[in-house]
Amino acid sequence: MNKKAGPLFYVFLAIFVFLVMFPFLWMLISSIKPINELFGDKAFTPFTSRPTLDNYISVFTNYPFLKYLWNSFVVSGITTLYTVLIASFTAYAIARLKFRGKTVILGLVLSVSMFPQIATISPIYILLKNIGLTNSYLGLIIPYTTITLPLSIWILVTFFRKIPFDLEEAAKMDGATLMQTYWKVILPLAVPGIFTTAILVFIAAWNEFLFALTINTEEKFKTVPVGIAMFEGQFTVPWGDITAATVIVTIPLVIMVLLFQRRIVSGLTSGAVKE
Amino acid sequence: MEVKYDSNPSPKKEPERTKTSSRKKGKASEKRLAYLLVAPSLILILLIAIWPVLQSFYYSLFDLRLNNPTKSEVTLTYHLDLEKYLNSYPFLINVLEDEAGKAKGSSAETLNGLIAELKEVDAGIQEDSAVKKQYQQVDDKLTNMEPVSEEVSSVKVDKSDALKLDKTLHKLTAEVKGLKGLKNEEDALGLSSSLNEAVIQPNFIGLEHYKNNLTDKRMWMAIWNTSAFTIVSVFIELVIGLAIAVLINKAFFGRGLVRATILIPWAIPTAVSAKMWQFLYDGQNGVVAHIFEKIGLVDNATDLLTTNLGAMFSIIFTDVWKTTPYMALLLLAGLQTISASFYEAASIDGASKWKQFTTITLPLLKSSILVALLFRTLDAFRVFDLVFVLTGGGPANSTETISILAYKRMFEQTNFGDGSALSVIVFVCVAVISMIFIKFLGRDLLTDR
Repeated sequence: MNKKAGPLFYVFLAIFVFLVMFPFLWMLISSIKPINELFGDKAFTPFTSRPTLDNYISVFTNYPFLKYLWNSFVVSGITTLYTVLIASFTAYAIARLKFRGKTVILGLVLSVSMFPQIATISPIYILLKNIGLTNSYLGLIIPYTTITLPLSIWILVTFFRKIPFDLEEAAKMDGATLMQTYWKVILPLAVPGIFTTAILVFIAAWNEFLFALTINTEEKFKTVPVGIAMFEGQFTVPWGDITAATVIVTIPLVIMVLLFQRRIVSGLTSGAVKE
Repeated sequence: MEVKYDSNPSPKKEPERTKTSSRKKGKASEKRLAYLLVAPSLILILLIAIWPVLQSFYYSLFDLRLNNPTKSEVTLTYHLDLEKYLNSYPFLINVLEDEAGKAKGSSAETLNGLIAELKEVDAGIQEDSAVKKQYQQVDDKLTNMEPVSEEVSSVKVDKSDALKLDKTLHKLTAEVKGLKGLKNEEDALGLSSSLNEAVIQPNFIGLEHYKNNLTDKRMWMAIWNTSAFTIVSVFIELVIGLAIAVLINKAFFGRGLVRATILIPWAIPTAVSAKMWQFLYDGQNGVVAHIFEKIGLVDNATDLLTTNLGAMFSIIFTDVWKTTPYMALLLLAGLQTISASFYEAASIDGASKWKQFTTITLPLLKSSILVALLFRTLDAFRVFDLVFVLTGGGPANSTETISILAYKRMFEQTNFGDGSALSVIVFVCVAVISMIFIKFLGRDLLTDR
């Protein structure tokens, strides 16, 4: 197709980037406005003559926002570590070893990734409630496995398949056992793939809402998405706080995306296209 | 997400078969290792995904309400809460005997008849030796003012005994009411009703929830809302996403920046972006609502979140904003695998750009499009966070999706039986949708190459 990019193309690109980013830009502008400029006449002016950090201070003093961030970080971090570890074993076996029932296992993993969360919530909630795990980190880490495990197995299988088989053969010739081959040959080569998977799993766990909403209802165990969604003022919606909180969660994300965009894209599209 | 899979991925040549025993051993150990490596994932998937779905279906057959003590657990048999029973039964007998002593003629006769009947039921319950043992245990604990644990307190009883108790208590209530002028009428009635609460009936109701839901207008409304949202948003996302993918499928300056831009709306938590859009759509101070009003898209800025159509439009618009870039990314990856030589050949033959698009791009992109559509459709059909935060299903349930309805039944009305039935309905819908897609995708999906 047309492989040259003309000036018109860059205009189109600029408009596209602006439209996609506009909501975030507006949140950034609004977050540094004094609270009275969020309403009335000045609500639609894209700048303020009196920038202030009041909204940011309010987010951390009026809500346990730091606690929300910490909760999200702990839950997503542990979920990522343990699912990627377990998934890497499974993906290795499926991609590299010979055994019966692979199609069935992959089919199962695919179907489970299609399960609607709402269909699993009532038994999981009742079980966690009965064993006293609601309002705890473990209460979220366990159900998050439903989402993250199939996801990581799928992505990792693609990455493991890309590693040349010759290396494995060579290791075998030298008398390495299968486990040695895995730890010393395959795993080091799979590190980029595992890292990519970890990023995607972390994002999925960080963004999860339904389980977090229903299982951890106590203020000190809420995660960031639930915390922000439940921001409430005494009389009005605290828009100032919401804009500041949105900016706070978006900035690390922007940095992460800028750093790892190549990896994220390769993880997202792996296997969705024929190669 | 990866959806292709080949049943025999190893391209390596099978080494010549030397039928020695060590070779065989090696194969067997490889198999054993493979199963060992796969086992943890399989066990987790069975426990945390498959079991809950089956359990949801099981729950949906019961009248399960977490806020109602007699219906808070699924039970197929009659139970008796001995603590409640023994906290009421002896006192009820006392009250009745007391009244019978004071009453005259037919009233005394009626009361004595009731006492005899109650005692007979009590004896019937104690007939079973296991029940009797527990009965004594609870009785002793209550006399010594000790706490009674749930396991000791709950006992399985015969259906006939439970029904007899229930019947006797109903008769008692009616007759005590009929006997005007009892001094302790209120006490007797109160004790009788708390005695009745000690009987826990099985709450199995079969397919009742499904019958109710399938004839419920609100359920069909929710299905309609979900389908409309899914079809419209996924269609728009596909068209715009494809257009963007085709346009940016070339080398240009600033690729990385564009890619990052694309990823940010996808990566931000849906709940947070929904809250953000709620601010932008706000009727008084929302800038997007203001712009829409200025360009004449809506008559009034407040229409967006307060009218039925406006709210549905807002949700679709936000979803399109959030996931079109992601769709474009998936399709772009598909486009990049199409060899440029096809297009070169076509332009030499004088085919127009549109002709090239319809005869080369679309057919070669078919499986990428179907895969992207499958995952987007399923995601859209399961939509929860976006609607929950942005509109809460309102106004007047006009944006209530099936997941939202199931959530409300379960966590707002604590009706887990009915909610589970709804979630099973969601599950069946999702299964049907994926089966249709897999049929279209055919072999591409599971066995490929």
